[in-house]
Amino acid sequence: MDISEQLNSANVTVDEVEPFLEVAPALVQKRRSQGRIIFDRFLRNRVAIGGALFLFLLLIFCFFGPLFWRIDPTQNNVLSVSATLAPPSLAHPFGTDDVGRDTLARAMAGGRVSLSVGLLSMLLAIVFGIGIGSFAGFYGGAVDNVLMRFTDVILAVPLYLLLFVLSASFSDGTPKSVIFLIAIFGWTYAARLVRGEFLALKEREFVLASRTIGARDFRLMFRHMLPNAAGPIIVNATLLIGINIILESVLSYFGFGIKEPDASWGSMITVGQGIFDTDPWLVLVPAFLIFFTVLSFNLVGDGLRDALDPYMTER
Amino acid sequence: MGEYLLEVQDLKTYFKVKAGKVRAVDGVSFAIKPGEKLGVVGESGCGKSVTALSIMRLLPQPAGEIAGGSVLFDDQDLLDLPESAMQKIRGGKIGMIFQDPLTCLNPTMTVGKQIGEALRIHLKLSSDESQRRAISLLEQVGIPAAAQRINSYPHQFSGGMRQRVMIAIALACNPKLLIADEPTTALDVTVQAQILELISGVCNEFGTAVIIITHDLGVVAGMTDRVAVMYAGKVVETATTDELFANPRHPYTLGLLSSVPRLDEERHSQLRTIEGAPPDLLKPPPGCPFMPRCAFAHAICRTMPPLEALPGHSAHLKACWVDVTDPQQQAYAEKRRQTRIEKVLAATTSQSASTQPVREEM
Repeated sequence: MDISEQLNSANVTVDEVEPFLEVAPALVQKRRSQGRIIFDRFLRNRVAIGGALFLFLLLIFCFFGPLFWRIDPTQNNVLSVSATLAPPSLAHPFGTDDVGRDTLARAMAGGRVSLSVGLLSMLLAIVFGIGIGSFAGFYGGAVDNVLMRFTDVILAVPLYLLLFVLSASFSDGTPKSVIFLIAIFGWTYAARLVRGEFLALKEREFVLASRTIGARDFRLMFRHMLPNAAGPIIVNATLLIGINIILESVLSYFGFGIKEPDASWGSMITVGQGIFDTDPWLVLVPAFLIFFTVLSFNLVGDGLRDALDPYMTER
Repeated sequence: MGEYLLEVQDLKTYFKVKAGKVRAVDGVSFAIKPGEKLGVVGESGCGKSVTALSIMRLLPQPAGEIAGGSVLFDDQDLLDLPESAMQKIRGGKIGMIFQDPLTCLNPTMTVGKQIGEALRIHLKLSSDESQRRAISLLEQVGIPAAAQRINSYPHQFSGGMRQRVMIAIALACNPKLLIADEPTTALDVTVQAQILELISGVCNEFGTAVIIITHDLGVVAGMTDRVAVMYAGKVVETATTDELFANPRHPYTLGLLSSVPRLDEERHSQLRTIEGAPPDLLKPPPGCPFMPRCAFAHAICRTMPPLEALPGHSAHLKACWVDVTDPQQQAYAEKRRQTRIEKVLAATTSQSASTQPVREEM
């Protein structure tokens, strides 16, 4: 039976055609969700993936490492000469510091502090920044003027000096107080960014269209406009984590952040700074950790910026 | 009173700009009965859309300002209502759809959520309940597989489907009035007819009155009961659709109708246009705004004619001193048109020595 005969023969039953009907939907390309598209675009950026991978490993290292490396990071051993300033060995892979504390355990503890301070102060700062920025951008006029001049004032303050002064009087040396101190000054860029986005978004037609169905200001701001500004905000948030981690290290380095004997990458550098020529690992370990952590957050931020920007042409 | 659902009386909307006040809407009056379909026609910038936004009280702030008049909706002046009461009316009693469905939907929200939003705002429905209603609304506006489509984002829809979604959003709470601001302008010609049919059909079903704003006379002819022709912020003529097309009485309406190309016309014959451009609404000319472009113009046109009913036609109103059906007036207008054309020709021949391209302005 040749093909034309097959086609013309009327005795092709539904059962014979049926299997093809079932296959048909599978041939149709499945529509990807917005999140999936962004994720795929992010995956194509190798550098950003490298950053994300490092952060993932760092997270495991800091939070799950202590389960296997059961040395107390605050326990000193001043009495034994061989235990202080010990070079790297099997017992202490990164050596010990001047009072005999294990550098590896302190790096893990310091990492927990740095990461949580960076993340939580970012969250606080972003929430506050969104609040200020969205009201300024949405209402404009006098509200905008007052809020943005306030932001300018905060931006004009010499940040490090004020942080030193404030932490000297108000900080009790716990991560919590450092988080609040950093967040108080970290929201300004987020506020400016959100304001700019809202100024542009409120002119968009879909905002007018949602007004025509009776949406109130709060709904417009937080249900309609904020999700449309999510891209830049997420990027800003990622970069802010890096900035905050550096701020925390600097504060701790100068002794205004996390108080001894609790560990922080910044204060670990302080311990090692006078003896860099003889015991370089004391500085190198925390310095490299800070460097690679901040670099990774920035790379991930850049990757997200590219992935979230629909006008970004694919390279 | 009570006969009309919406009665706009002497509405004046001005925009404050650096150079002064733009009289975008300057004394517009019209009325619409429940379930009726009114077409508002006019060229770009004549105040059609501003009229619609004034009714909704959604003028761009702080430049736009309603300077006078009243908008009676259900015997209640919308211009006197506080903002919170106005929010209940928007979407609840009056729905609105816009020209460009591509920009009017929120790109970050699923279609179902956007349709359900009005239901949640006005009827305080739960999200499950509003989704169920959204599915049936999507079906009503003719989108197949609505139950799956509900979770799609606007970018996954075509232009015509997005306009269908907009219609579903506007009609979600079963409003008494739908304002459609050029609902088909951004769409494909083949889709335009479908959308118009849909608006017409759904509104008949729901008993919704429609104000359809357009510059396309074809749209008006197909689906409206009555037409108001606007020019330079004023209504210049209003009549039932059949009457207006059969018996136009304002020179501007006449011009609009004769500038529509016709299939039964001889090929290569010149398309009639209305010469000139609409007046600058910053400094509107005294008297009839159409006078500078009008072939029928007389000295009396320097004072603004009132919008009055034609003798014997209570439903046909025009704002013009001249009776355009009078043969004497028609001869006068034809003569003026000819002399204008001759003037232009004379100007262009004198210019033809130079290589300047002929400009078609007058």
